[in-house]
Amino acid sequence: MLKKILIVVVIVAIAIALYIYSGANRDYKALAKQLKVSHVIYNPDKPLPLFSLVDQDKQVFNNDSLKEGWTLLLFIYTHCPDVCPTELLDMATLNQLMIKDKLENAPKVVAITFDPLRDTPKVLKEYVGHFDKDFTGVSGDQSQIDKLVKSFGAYYERVVYDKKGKPVTLKADDKLPANALKDGYTINHTAWIYLVNPEGQIFAGFPTPHKPSNMIKDIKLIMSQF
Amino acid sequence: MFHKIKTIGLMFIALISFNTTFATQHQSGNIMINDPWVRSAPPNAPALGAFMQIANHSDTDVKLLSANVAGYKRVELHRTIPKNGVMQMVKQEFMPIPAHGELMLKPGSWHIMLIGPESVPSKGESVKIELIFDNGLSKTVHAKVRKGKMMHHKKMMHHH
Repeated sequence: MLKKILIVVVIVAIAIALYIYSGANRDYKALAKQLKVSHVIYNPDKPLPLFSLVDQDKQVFNNDSLKEGWTLLLFIYTHCPDVCPTELLDMATLNQLMIKDKLENAPKVVAITFDPLRDTPKVLKEYVGHFDKDFTGVSGDQSQIDKLVKSFGAYYERVVYDKKGKPVTLKADDKLPANALKDGYTINHTAWIYLVNPEGQIFAGFPTPHKPSNMIKDIKLIMSQF
Repeated sequence: MFHKIKTIGLMFIALISFNTTFATQHQSGNIMINDPWVRSAPPNAPALGAFMQIANHSDTDVKLLSANVAGYKRVELHRTIPKNGVMQMVKQEFMPIPAHGELMLKPGSWHIMLIGPESVPSKGESVKIELIFDNGLSKTVHAKVRKGKMMHHKKMMHHH
């Protein structure tokens, strides 16, 4: 008899869990269909790992820093002449649009470097602040950054040139040659911009190209339905 | 004395303008550069991008082999190529400009990379860029430093 009750309880529990799960899923599926330039990549089963970085004012930047409200997060590096300045310019335009729109609890822009070796907090403060003084640049340990890059589904690889001028691609774990800092290196990287919810979890991603006037529509939709 | 200086000065000016006119006329039939610009960057930016449209009005394909800019550690030809979602920065040996065609240097695509500036130019300043082509031509353009990501069609300048 007890066994029977137990079985029923388990079945009911599974049913409730399934209901809640599919319900949550269904909600975001409906939302996802309305989004024009972003994808819902929220996965409650895969929360962000614990991380600890350093912001441009040398303050700790960790999971809690992402729980103060909505965040637009992107990965950059300052030696980037093309893609990263474009992204930061787009974010500056978007920020102006959000201010003009009087969007409440507007997401804060956080730019995390792929390249802490060259991008110290001080460097980032001047660089990122040039695009918008409200932006936050974040540096820190390479291993901490790599962990975060991976959990966002982002990717980067460094490119150095050998003596014959041939490009050599180095993965995140590969060691940089001794002369790399002097000779310089570039970074191939993904260029999504992520919307992180106030629980500090990845919610949506915006692939390139980024059009601020479309992004703000998706952001408002997501914030209103979260 | 004053008269002499004035004469020399005038001769000098005449000489310069003659040179410039000659040079531009010589090249205008072949290669035309439209709207050269450098994207404004933070004062500590380690690298800048220069962009322009290069039109080739000749019957033969032309290659841009290199660019020279004073005050930078290195100047390289680059192309951003998206591959499986990864934006690849690919150094180029040259930039091809097809006969009776054009090549657009723009953000997210072909660009001239100015590496290691002695000082980052501010908005409104202009950067002198010498372009070296494979047909023996070289051309000097003055690229305006401005904000933005796209070409301003309305502000397009023709260098005749």
